[in-house]
Amino acid sequence: MDITLLKKLIKVVETSNITEFSVQEGDLKVRISKNTKSAQIISPSANYQMPVVSSKVESAANEQTKTEAAKPAAEASENMHEIKSPIVGTFYRAPAPDADPYIQVGDSISEGNVLCIVEAMKLMNEIESDTSGKIVKILVDDGTPVEYNQPLFLIKLD
Amino acid sequence: MLKLEEFNIKLDTDLIGRSFVYLEECDSTNNFLFNTKDYNHHGTVVLSEYQSKGKGRKDRTWESSKGQNLTLSILLRKDIKSKLLGIINLGASLAVAQTLENLYQLDVELKWPNDVLIKRKKIAGILLESSSKGSKIEKLVVGIGINVNQVGFQGKFIIPPTSVKKEFHETISRERLLSELLNNFEEILKICFDNPNKIIEYWKERCDMIGEHIKVVENDESKFGIFSNIDDEGYLILKSKDKTERIHFGDVSLRQ
Repeated sequence: MDITLLKKLIKVVETSNITEFSVQEGDLKVRISKNTKSAQIISPSANYQMPVVSSKVESAANEQTKTEAAKPAAEASENMHEIKSPIVGTFYRAPAPDADPYIQVGDSISEGNVLCIVEAMKLMNEIESDTSGKIVKILVDDGTPVEYNQPLFLIKLD
Repeated sequence: MLKLEEFNIKLDTDLIGRSFVYLEECDSTNNFLFNTKDYNHHGTVVLSEYQSKGKGRKDRTWESSKGQNLTLSILLRKDIKSKLLGIINLGASLAVAQTLENLYQLDVELKWPNDVLIKRKKIAGILLESSSKGSKIEKLVVGIGINVNQVGFQGKFIIPPTSVKKEFHETISRERLLSELLNNFEEILKICFDNPNKIIEYWKERCDMIGEHIKVVENDESKFGIFSNIDDEGYLILKSKDKTERIHFGDVSLRQ
């Protein structure tokens, strides 16, 4: 990007209502923010990383025990937690039809891990865990409809 | 490159687009906003001249020629009740429809849930992605793709595509279209929060499939019936001989 263009951009942002303007061209990233009243040119290698889905579940899947799956949800005791659907839609265990499921029974999960997607209209909602623990049971089949507040997963709390 | 001055002159929003990220290329603008931690302001807009993995529903893609169209995503971080997601979904298509009508007097139809059509051809597509923790929607990204100056389309399409240029017969100022879109989006978003029923009402006025015999394809299953209504959360109500069903998703078409 040539310096004249950069100066022009700074001027436009300064005189406009835009509070922050970023532009990325190839290797170069320019972020102009009014709060600092100056342009920062940041090397992309340090600053810009292609987003990586942070939903990788910590790989404790090898600890799978089959007995856990047999416990009915009704027996949820104090250290059990249910993850419920916040929306009406269709439940998917994987991000795409040919992808691996986000989680399996027996997986250890942390707060913020993505557990599933519920699709409603053209909205894909990722459901993140609001707790840490171990997946004891998946209560809904892949591709089936779910209602508001319907329990989806049973988690044994850490 | 987008002419920032031209875009700014017409932008009349308080929040939407006031933080603006312009990319030459990315995988998808939805992914960019969804995964980056750098941009977290409510109303941040990311526009990319090219998306290497533009997304449609499920595993479908959104193809768009470099520099000719508008592919952007809007980040919403305001406290959003989950029951409003469907309304915002419909509202996004309404914002596109209003924009195309205001600027180019095009006769725009909406197809459930949020396809924007002109003469039964698709001019814009919308895909929303959100994340929730417990019952709280943490972030919502509204992805909008509008075919603007592209005139040739290659590939297989469920609905044949068109563009603003093809319909209006002139090269379009993307800057003007973008600012008008964001102006309309902000206005409609406000109505989504304040008076969601109005969105349903406006949306229904622009859908000519209500009352018609339709087919809904959900994954591998087809359902037939009359498109009787949209409920207060935006779901399609399908009436068949023996039952009334609430449809969450699927490809809707008129029954031939």
